[in-house]
Amino acid sequence: MAQGGVHRIGGGAEAGLGVTLSPTLLLDVVVGGFTTGGIYALVALGLNLQYGLMRVLNVAHGEFLMLGAYVTFSLHTGWGVNPLLTLLITGPTAFAVGLVLHRVLYAPLLAGEAAESLESRSLLLSFGLMFVLQNAALLIWSADLRGYSYLAIPLRWLGTVFPANRVLAAAIALALGAAFYLYLRGSLTGKAVRALMQEPEGAQLMGIQTSRIHGLCFGAGIAMSAVTGSLVSMLFELTPFMGLPYTVTALVVVILGGLGNMLGCILAGLLLGLVETAGVYLASSDIRLISSYAVLSLILILKPSGLFGR
Amino acid sequence: MAVLGGVLLAAPHLLPAYYRSLTLAILADVALAVAWAFFSGPTRYLSLATGAFFGAGAYTTAVVMTRLPWPLPVLAAAAVAAAMALLVGTLALRLRGPYFAVFTFGLAELAKHTLIWYETGVTGTVGRLLLNPPGAVTLYYTVLGVAALAVGTAVWLPRGRWGIALVGIGADEERAETLGIDTTRIKIAVFALSAAFMGAVGGAMAPRWTYLDPQVFNPLVSFQTVIMALLGGATTVIGPVLGAVFLGILSETLLLQFRYVYMLSLGLVLIVVVLLLPAGLAGLLRRRRA
Repeated sequence: MAQGGVHRIGGGAEAGLGVTLSPTLLLDVVVGGFTTGGIYALVALGLNLQYGLMRVLNVAHGEFLMLGAYVTFSLHTGWGVNPLLTLLITGPTAFAVGLVLHRVLYAPLLAGEAAESLESRSLLLSFGLMFVLQNAALLIWSADLRGYSYLAIPLRWLGTVFPANRVLAAAIALALGAAFYLYLRGSLTGKAVRALMQEPEGAQLMGIQTSRIHGLCFGAGIAMSAVTGSLVSMLFELTPFMGLPYTVTALVVVILGGLGNMLGCILAGLLLGLVETAGVYLASSDIRLISSYAVLSLILILKPSGLFGR
Repeated sequence: MAVLGGVLLAAPHLLPAYYRSLTLAILADVALAVAWAFFSGPTRYLSLATGAFFGAGAYTTAVVMTRLPWPLPVLAAAAVAAAMALLVGTLALRLRGPYFAVFTFGLAELAKHTLIWYETGVTGTVGRLLLNPPGAVTLYYTVLGVAALAVGTAVWLPRGRWGIALVGIGADEERAETLGIDTTRIKIAVFALSAAFMGAVGGAMAPRWTYLDPQVFNPLVSFQTVIMALLGGATTVIGPVLGAVFLGILSETLLLQFRYVYMLSLGLVLIVVVLLLPAGLAGLLRRRRA
């Protein structure tokens, strides 16, 4: 960690010019970027599924990540369940919750609504959901920072050191993201989802049940967020307010990758992880958000369909 | 109207300090919600930039307050927010739908972190002290004036050619352009006008805090404003006023004692309102009357 530590010292405006670009630093940035980016990719994939398919901007997306993280925390510290095993609990539970939320909240809205006001009303709905979930978490777990240590073993590789839990979390996140992508490409359900994204009316004429697919995708999206939360709980301390920053990051990634473009979303997640990590290493941690928003603004202005959009 | 105006004018001399402060906060909410709605209501551009303009206004006041006599810092705040909106609008207003919402949402965070980065790196201090603030009654009349101007603008705007153009932009922007409306210019101009009011509110509210740091660029301000306007009904003038008064009273009275329970029920109320009251409180009133 010594070398990485040296690079991070300094901060401030002119620190970026003082750093020499050694191979070790490059490796630090690349691996660090991929571990951050893998997490971003999975949480963004979930949002992209909801947003690309239904045009429902779910700002409560990050709250499910927060809840997943807290459930894993409680199961691990309360009953000693292995954090990795809790993925098998948080994922399916979140999927079921998503199915119910879609049936109760979004299906009535999507069914009886003129398209113009749908966007703002579904946004308002998810604000409401965000308030409910965040404050429920505050009542249950309080605002105190929570956390536990799992697999915080250093991995040494080519002269740099990485915590094993970060590498593992990112690997699982990327594997899940890739598996989901292959499922969308290969399966009949996946074909229906892609058809609905490209041509909603045409797909409906071909006999695809819009509402069923919407429900499944909403559930799957929320499950991805919750599972990401379970992974994140191994790495960082938890607060009931941790959800919104992830929602914002996921939005940035979705827009970078192009609406409804799943492969673009995974690539954009990794890219954003790299850009942010490079920003943190080269300048200061304040630059992290600035650099990601700067990338977002540039891409929105130059190529509004996203970096990998058609 | 005249009665309400008279009551609001006399209020600071009749009310105890707590209720004056409550009325002041609600008036600020009214100004924000009305200013948001006169742009975003007809055009359907869902702006989440309110927090950024509010913050820019507040920070402007903090910087220039010692150098300028009182109402001038508020004007400066309005000017800075409007200039920011001109720049942002030129870049962002060609984005439609959710893209615009996301872009504007990021603005408050971007402004906050740029300011933190600038202040730590260049000036070496983060935050400002606001010394010798104007009196509470002066602040009350300033915010009342801003709110009254915002409501006046919202009433006047739809009656003119620009109001019709804004509705045209919201209904079908391409068609509006084909019909000879300079949509870009009108969008940016009204967006900047709306931002000027938000900046003025920030500028007028800033002296209530004695210390100001970049956290004043708060995305929650953006959210609350949207919720107030949509809850009341964003395409009317009375809607955002109702929404702001309703939520303003609730939040100012309940927030401090039962914060989490209050916010949770607020979320539930919001969900119920969206599902059952599509046109907001104003729509409910209209239905009752019909």
